[in-house]
Amino acid sequence: MDAESYTDLLPLILLGVVFFVSAIAMLYWSSKRGQFRNFDSQASTIFTDEEPEGEISDSFPSK
Amino acid sequence: MSEAPQINSQSASPYSSNDAEVRAELSEIDASIRTSALFFTVSAIFWLLAGTVFALITAYKAHEPSFMGDSALSTFGRMRSAHLNAMALGWGNNIIFAVGLWIMARLCRSPIRHGGLLLIAGIFWNIGLTVGIVGIIMGDITSVEWLEIPHYATPLLALSYALIGVWGVMAFKFRKGEHVYVSQWYILAGLFWFPWLYIVAQIMIIWFPARGVVQSVTNWWFAHNVLGLWLTPMALATAYYLIPKVLGRPIYSYYLSVLGFWALAIFYNWAGVHHLIGGPIPVWLISAGIVASIMMVIPVIVVGLNHHMSVVGLHKEVWRSPTLRFVVFGAISYTLVSLIGSSMAVRSVNEITHFTHFTVGHAHHGVYAFFSMIMFGGVYYMMPRLLKREWPSAGLIKLHFWGSAIGISVMLFALHVIGWIQGVQMNDATIPFLEIVQNTIPWLKARTISGVFLTVAHIAFAVNFFWMLFAAGAVRAKQGPTLLDSAKEEGVA
Repeated sequence: MDAESYTDLLPLILLGVVFFVSAIAMLYWSSKRGQFRNFDSQASTIFTDEEPEGEISDSFPSK
Repeated sequence: MSEAPQINSQSASPYSSNDAEVRAELSEIDASIRTSALFFTVSAIFWLLAGTVFALITAYKAHEPSFMGDSALSTFGRMRSAHLNAMALGWGNNIIFAVGLWIMARLCRSPIRHGGLLLIAGIFWNIGLTVGIVGIIMGDITSVEWLEIPHYATPLLALSYALIGVWGVMAFKFRKGEHVYVSQWYILAGLFWFPWLYIVAQIMIIWFPARGVVQSVTNWWFAHNVLGLWLTPMALATAYYLIPKVLGRPIYSYYLSVLGFWALAIFYNWAGVHHLIGGPIPVWLISAGIVASIMMVIPVIVVGLNHHMSVVGLHKEVWRSPTLRFVVFGAISYTLVSLIGSSMAVRSVNEITHFTHFTVGHAHHGVYAFFSMIMFGGVYYMMPRLLKREWPSAGLIKLHFWGSAIGISVMLFALHVIGWIQGVQMNDATIPFLEIVQNTIPWLKARTISGVFLTVAHIAFAVNFFWMLFAAGAVRAKQGPTLLDSAKEEGVA
């Protein structure tokens, strides 16, 4: 591959950079919106009154 | 002795409001997505069975090339590509659209909107895929690995996916509450990453082809990221939801789960070029890919540690749960396959494993032992909640688990061992190539046997699923702990 041909990779490299920047932007957004605070309580948000914390909710059927 | 989890009536969830106007019940959300989720699950199981048939033919032809040798339709290349696309885009995507979007809807705490859009998109996705796979078998296959579907089917696939992706973003936008659980991060990111990968690869390789070398870079950027930035985030989202959910115990460290997600988001995109080590592309590009591959050890260790610590002391409960048997098998496989993958990116290791069955084994380790096993677990948890019915047969669930576990273990052992031997021998110029090929035959026969185990497992899964779906009267009469409380109260348990 000639050195001049490396410029063919430019679109791909730019896409990678855009991808990287978008990930950093999302990281910044989530930080500003408080997603990185109160980790302990955030882990419990999947539990509800119907499927509460402390209750095992799956096992093999009776047969 | 396992430590039983303590019931905590004061859930920390900000969404468990006592105000019925504010609160969206899980059963209400499940009902809103039932039709779409069932359609995608039925489609996924159809593709799983079709892909299994293609796989068996391919595996058998690898050591008996004359098998079905008179038909152009069943040549190795066509069957192998039909298998790959049926499994990745048929089974994989449909089951993601079923389980992943169901989890997304539950975590958004809001009954879904525009369910009809999701269903229409799903119908067109499966029509496009059928056209594509028939095209592959008829000989319209492209020469690009993981993008074999002929060009006339891809616009329909892209459009269908776009509708599904938009639906996912809309569900997120109309969520209740501010907090974003780690599974939502993974699903949202996957919904964003997959069209990015697919459209860029289609443009640069199929529609407006770049120069050959750039096509190769794009090809492996795409193919590797389909696993790492599409299948992986969806499977991890499912595991992060189901492990704590089934055990009734929050994930060990939410901090680590967030760290693992962001490390994956930042490092994985660069890793795919390690498939071109030794190829005619800039060395720095490959070196960047190798560095990113090694950096992936961070999220892998983080996720593995987090999952392991979350089940410590509750191993009996894991074993008693059909969901967690599959999910934990998949989670352990994630740690193993990822660490092996990082080591395969090291130049000295890659010199041996490249162009061998080791890579084929590695791909099955990721897509089946990790991704598919977790998704099987997701189906076992989701279906009783969607239908408010019990799984009809525990025996079929066990047959499915053991068939899959033994089958994939035999396959991985055979392909990794012979792959390594094959690589070492191919680097020795004194060994004739044909002799190396003949050395692989016993191991390839072992792979076919492993395929028989997997076939039995998939048939057991399909029979149990359709039995549950259609034999409603008989199944409803049973009592069982996988049912929702509300269903028990209604006397339909």
